[in-house]
Amino acid sequence: MDMTVRLPRGLTLANPVMAASGTFGFGPEYGAYVDIGRLGGVSAKGVSPDPWPGNPPPRVWETPGGLLNSIGLQNPGIETFIAQDLPFLRESGTRVIVNVIGHTVEEYQRVAARLEREPGVDALEINISCPNIKAGGMSFGHDPDQAYAVTQAVRAVTDRPVMVKLSPNIESPARIAEAAVAAGADMISAINTLVGLAIDRHNRRPALGGVTGGLSGPAVKPVALRVVYEVAQAVAVPVIGMGGIAQVEDVLDFLMAGASAVMVGTITFQHPNRMLAIIDGLPAALAVHGFSSLPEIVGVALPTRRQESGR
Amino acid sequence: MAGEYDVVVQAVRVPGSGYVELVLESPELAQAVPGQFVHVLTPGTLRRPISFSRISAATATAAILFQVVGAGTAWLAGVAAGQTVNVLGPLGHGFPVPEPGRAWCVVGGGVGIPPLFAAVQRWGGQVAASAILGARTAAGLVMVEDFAERGTALTLTTDDGSRGEAGTVLGPFKRWLRAHPDGQVYACGPTPMLAGIAAATRGHRAFLALEQRMGCGIGACLACVVPVHGPSGPRYARVCSEGPVFAAERLAW
Ligand SMILES: Cc1cc2nc3c(=O)[nH]c(=O)nc-3n(C[C@H](O)[C@H](O)[C@H](O)COP(=O)(O)OP(=O)(O)OC[C@H]3O[C@@H](n4cnc5c(N)ncnc54)[C@H](O)[C@@H]3O)c2cc1C
Ligand SMILES: Cc1cc2nc3c(=O)[nH]c(=O)nc-3n(C[C@H](O)[C@H](O)[C@H](O)COP(=O)(O)O)c2cc1C
Ligand code: FES
Repeated sequence: MDMTVRLPRGLTLANPVMAASGTFGFGPEYGAYVDIGRLGGVSAKGVSPDPWPGNPPPRVWETPGGLLNSIGLQNPGIETFIAQDLPFLRESGTRVIVNVIGHTVEEYQRVAARLEREPGVDALEINISCPNIKAGGMSFGHDPDQAYAVTQAVRAVTDRPVMVKLSPNIESPARIAEAAVAAGADMISAINTLVGLAIDRHNRRPALGGVTGGLSGPAVKPVALRVVYEVAQAVAVPVIGMGGIAQVEDVLDFLMAGASAVMVGTITFQHPNRMLAIIDGLPAALAVHGFSSLPEIVGVALPTRRQESGR
Repeated sequence: MAGEYDVVVQAVRVPGSGYVELVLESPELAQAVPGQFVHVLTPGTLRRPISFSRISAATATAAILFQVVGAGTAWLAGVAAGQTVNVLGPLGHGFPVPEPGRAWCVVGGGVGIPPLFAAVQRWGGQVAASAILGARTAAGLVMVEDFAERGTALTLTTDDGSRGEAGTVLGPFKRWLRAHPDGQVYACGPTPMLAGIAAATRGHRAFLALEQRMGCGIGACLACVVPVHGPSGPRYARVCSEGPVFAAERLAW
């Protein structure tokens, strides 16, 4: 079965399974464990114009079926990323997606503009979950107008495929997705982590150095599926689904809910090679469920498609 | 070479109530440097980092010794000889080779003791080692017989005085340092102990093996950081890949 995924602006993935941003480093780290060239793509850890120090440790805390993290988007800045990590990713044979972060609209735009001069970047993923320091620290992803402004600023400086990554910590992710698409986003990716808190009982304080953290892993999958399902109905562009994928059946669920491709994050910490196992198992899993091609499954669980098929 | 391996547990030892040592059959792990660790798959959403307590290229085995403190280590303690565990390893940067001709002291607190035994096992033949080992109670003083068998000069401490000197390792350690102003120190243990050693060893050759909560264990997620001095001020370094062993003077505590 042909596993190729054709996305806007000529972005073509060898298969629909990509590594999620922040869980696969800036590229080289997993090289000794995973045949990166076989992945559908890699979304690198978020990159800002200048280095960000990140949050004080501890930065991770295990929760039932999940993981709470407060890394704080530590990154060495775009110049170091381009010099140290991009060459490896470019040579790895996979599709390279750069996850873009900023504290202001201009910072997002600077990263996108700087990457425009670099070969070997296949797409940009705009992480709008960052706090906007010019708007009292509320995240860009919480307000359709700010999501529009960031997307439009990035769109103005790049011809590359742009996906906007949604935060699930809002009432209507679909409204944000609509704003991003109106501003020129080619795709929507969802979801980022869910805000949570853990208590360190021994020390009688919040467990994470950053106090609150983002929940990921199998525990968040139902939330992620709900967001993908809503967004896929709200916008006409492809949706990249993620959140709690741990096995091939999870991927089928996301595809049925309307995702054209997926990203896989937290499970990689346990099983570095799980993404490859999922890729290998996907054709058989699709066949078991009666699909003879990949596009056939995308969105079959959506109301419109159910009406067509009478299910 | 570091990789993901399914390794057979050759033997299970119980060095004390609440402590377990697993001997792992693996030519790859047997190439490890003392101070390196494995990231062990357990039923939780994260793996568990554990240092090597012994490394033997001759028998193609490496061992890990851990205290049962929570669900992950409790599960691992239930693994029987002949069963398989999945590990990533050997991970991180271990201790450097001790400099010959300099007095060498290893200072271990509680479950910080095992990686120091691995160091003495590897290098104790070339450079005579003194060991200062401490724990809260006598039960926590693991591997003492192993050090003794190698002729290591031993000083023991317990917080409650149930074995050795009452108090922490810092007292005897400061005495050792005064007697050996040119000495080199390798240490592993709880953070307050390591901070005390770092403060006492300014200008000395001192290496500390640190712990931090980890995600990936291989340098990809930036979870496991500690502040270190950088060229332009403090920065966060990854314990899993840039450590767990750091020169004491690099740490920005
Ligand atoms: C590099 C390194 C080497 C280590 N070597 C040893 C060793 O040789 N022997 C030994 O007994 N212990 C060692 N530890 C500590 C050991 O990792 C923890 O005791 C263990 O992870 C606890 O898991 P748990 O599920 O039983 O406990 P829980 O408290 O239920 O664990 C919950 C979560 O917290 C993490 N965690 C809890 N305590 C620690 C800790 N002290 N350090 C890091 N993460 C922690 C766990 O990994 C897990 O993700 C080492 C830690 C590190 C970072
Ligand atoms: C440790 C960690 C770091 C992350 N860093 C980023 C990041 O830099 N940028 C981003 O857009 N998402 C980041 N994420 C979110 C993931 O890309 C993903 O959206 C989320 O974890 C849900 O997928 P999962 O359940 O498969 O992990 C991070 C997640 C984790 C666990
Ligand atoms: S645990 Fe992921 S970088 Fe160290």
